[in-house]
Amino acid sequence: MATFNVHVTIENKPGISDPEGDTILNDLVLKGAHKTVSKIKTAKMLKFTIKEKDKKAARSKIQKICDELRIYNPMVSTVTIDVFNA
Amino acid sequence: MSLEPQELAELKLNIGRDPTSTELQIVAAEWSEHCSYKSSKKHLKMLPMKGPLVIHEKGYDSGVLDVGNGYVVTAHIESHNHPSAVEPYGGAATGVGGVIRDILSAGTRPIAILNGLRFGNIETDKHARWLFKNAVTGIADYGNCLGVPTIGGEVEFDDCYHNYALVDVAAVGFGKKKNLIKNHATNGDLVVLLGGSTGRDGMGGSQFASDSLESEDRSAVQIPDPFIEKLIIEAILEARKQKLINAMKDLGGGGLSCAVSEIANTLEVGIEMDVDMVHTRESNMHPDEIMISESQERMLIITSKTKLKELQKICKKFRISCSVIGHVKSDNQMHVKKGKKTFANLPTDVIVNATLLDLPSKKPVYLKTIEKEKKLRPIFDYSKIMMNFLAAPNIASKIWVYGQYDHEVGIRTVIKPGHDASVLRLDNGKFLSVKIDGNPKQCYINPREGAIGCFEEACRNVVCTGAKPIGMLDHLQFGNPKDPEIFWTFLESLKGLTDFANHFKIPCIGGKVSLYNETPAGPIKPTPLIGVLGLIDKKPLIPQRISDGDCLVIVGDTKDEMGGSEYFEYIHKFIGGKCPSVNFVESKKNMKVVLKVIQSQLLKSVHDCSKGGLAVAISELCMTNQIGCRILLENVPGEKLDVDRILFSESHSRYLLTLDKKNLKKLETMLKKSKVSFKLIGKFRGKKIQFTKGTKSIIDLRVDIAQKTWLNSLKDLVLHG
Repeated sequence: MATFNVHVTIENKPGISDPEGDTILNDLVLKGAHKTVSKIKTAKMLKFTIKEKDKKAARSKIQKICDELRIYNPMVSTVTIDVFNA
Repeated sequence: MSLEPQELAELKLNIGRDPTSTELQIVAAEWSEHCSYKSSKKHLKMLPMKGPLVIHEKGYDSGVLDVGNGYVVTAHIESHNHPSAVEPYGGAATGVGGVIRDILSAGTRPIAILNGLRFGNIETDKHARWLFKNAVTGIADYGNCLGVPTIGGEVEFDDCYHNYALVDVAAVGFGKKKNLIKNHATNGDLVVLLGGSTGRDGMGGSQFASDSLESEDRSAVQIPDPFIEKLIIEAILEARKQKLINAMKDLGGGGLSCAVSEIANTLEVGIEMDVDMVHTRESNMHPDEIMISESQERMLIITSKTKLKELQKICKKFRISCSVIGHVKSDNQMHVKKGKKTFANLPTDVIVNATLLDLPSKKPVYLKTIEKEKKLRPIFDYSKIMMNFLAAPNIASKIWVYGQYDHEVGIRTVIKPGHDASVLRLDNGKFLSVKIDGNPKQCYINPREGAIGCFEEACRNVVCTGAKPIGMLDHLQFGNPKDPEIFWTFLESLKGLTDFANHFKIPCIGGKVSLYNETPAGPIKPTPLIGVLGLIDKKPLIPQRISDGDCLVIVGDTKDEMGGSEYFEYIHKFIGGKCPSVNFVESKKNMKVVLKVIQSQLLKSVHDCSKGGLAVAISELCMTNQIGCRILLENVPGEKLDVDRILFSESHSRYLLTLDKKNLKKLETMLKKSKVSFKLIGKFRGKKIQFTKGTKSIIDLRVDIAQKTWLNSLKDLVLHG
């Protein structure tokens, strides 16, 4: 068994509006001198530390947790899971 | 998600050709149950809509009442059941947004929100808790960001909403009569889309709302943005002030398809529009998608060419997008183009007038035996039962819910949530009292009497504040209308409401029908929800603190009507028995006399007796005032009944009057004169809630312990399971 750090990023599905990201872009970033920025999306990240036999097992375990416990609502959001060696 | 074969045939016959794909999408959206009311419209006409205070104008999305001195109140009710069942946070929040825009579209400022929430059994079902918690947060976040107070509502749990949610939102608006928008349009006027951008979210929501939720097709979620909504409110009200708006409509179910066709049809004009001019969130959206997208926070405005510049200036000031998407024509056609190419060109009356259905109805079989009571297990310790009861989700204080809502912003809220009805101060020196009520448990047992009961309860609640009911909103929520048994329950409820409204001369000023509310386990119980607005000319009865020695007088008879009661269903897990029924004559008499004694300022407070019966209503008085009481059950007027029936029967038309001992004589004289049934049933004193019958103690509880349970149990259940 090895220890892994797993980052779960929860964000709105593409095509679904993101009022918070839009506000940060339009009312903060573009108000300054940062005209090269064209999009900002907000997301929430959960960082798990987990003991599993390999990266694959860690990933599928975390995906299962997120699905079963409704850590995110699949109607609105997507999750991206990144696994790192601890 | 499309037209039925006979509807398609009819459309072809009407236009004499095959419809294009865009035309199909537009018609499918408009002919959905959600937009066309095709199953219910024929019957809804029975409700009385006229009254001395009701103002009718074409194209209003909300009801308008004249409250005197040049002011009007507007009100509307909507639900967002299907979206909330899959995404409770966004579904509930956008529900608030939608009904707020209906208020705005008459040209009035939204001043209050109420909501009625219904979920499955949160004691046993984790998913129901998740839905409940997120729907409440959604409403709180949206309403609080908008600066519109959420002043009241109701929350109920029942197994029939398993895996589902009923989220009903009512809103109240206020403004000057002369500022009401008089919807009109002339040839050459411009059609402007104002507010949020159009995206792929909420695609086909109105058809989604007209299907059962059993299928996995759940794409119609919408994302709330209360800050844009707030800007829209301010921009529209400023444009209204400068008289820049000829006509206006909110974009709700069916998106542009419905808004454009309906406004054109109401104003008897044609509209030609170009989808390329619509400001979209994503590129490459197909015209069909643009036409049926239900992206939130959008309004459609018709303005004159000469006023456009001023309107654009206001939009710029509030930093909201607005685009001219088309213009008004005189041909009664809805013409949708993309650049030069035509995608749809249909007569508006064809789009708007779906063929109304005359569905068959049949009395449900289950009703034959439902009134028969089963033998209940005997209760030995009513104090223990009472403690369980006070912690029951349907009885427990809803402070965890309304405590999350800003109910004071705008400083109009004179009577806050947690009492019978909430009261708002109006600018003309009068007060508006508002309440919504539903009772699916009783409506299941007797759809007619149950619906009347909801109506009477809402009236009772506003009467408790000293208000005279002046208007009613109805929201009729049922299962699949194509099931004759369900349709029968719909018709019975509607007939009951009509009879009550006629007898009490309370006009129906608006409403909504939501059908196809089905869960995998079957249809929901009939859930009509009634909102009542009451007007107080002088001063509302703000509940005063009850103190030692004060008297408790009950008006109205307690009857053997336990069907659908919380006691039967929660304590005995029994669905059945006789549903409480309203005696119109008695009801009117009681209402009148209670209003009269409130005006003569004899009372400290009036509390309505409903869910949980007398025992709960009196305990609530004790707990909110932190004072004990001694109640003599043998004094309760009505038939001779067993103890459990006196305590827990939910008979209507009952009011609990609290008053200083010195006013008792005067009160008794007034009540006697009007020949109502009443009795002094107890006094407030000490620190214990005590009910006795003869020499026997029935209930004996410490107020502080009861209060702790009552206040905290709902919160504990939601947060800690």
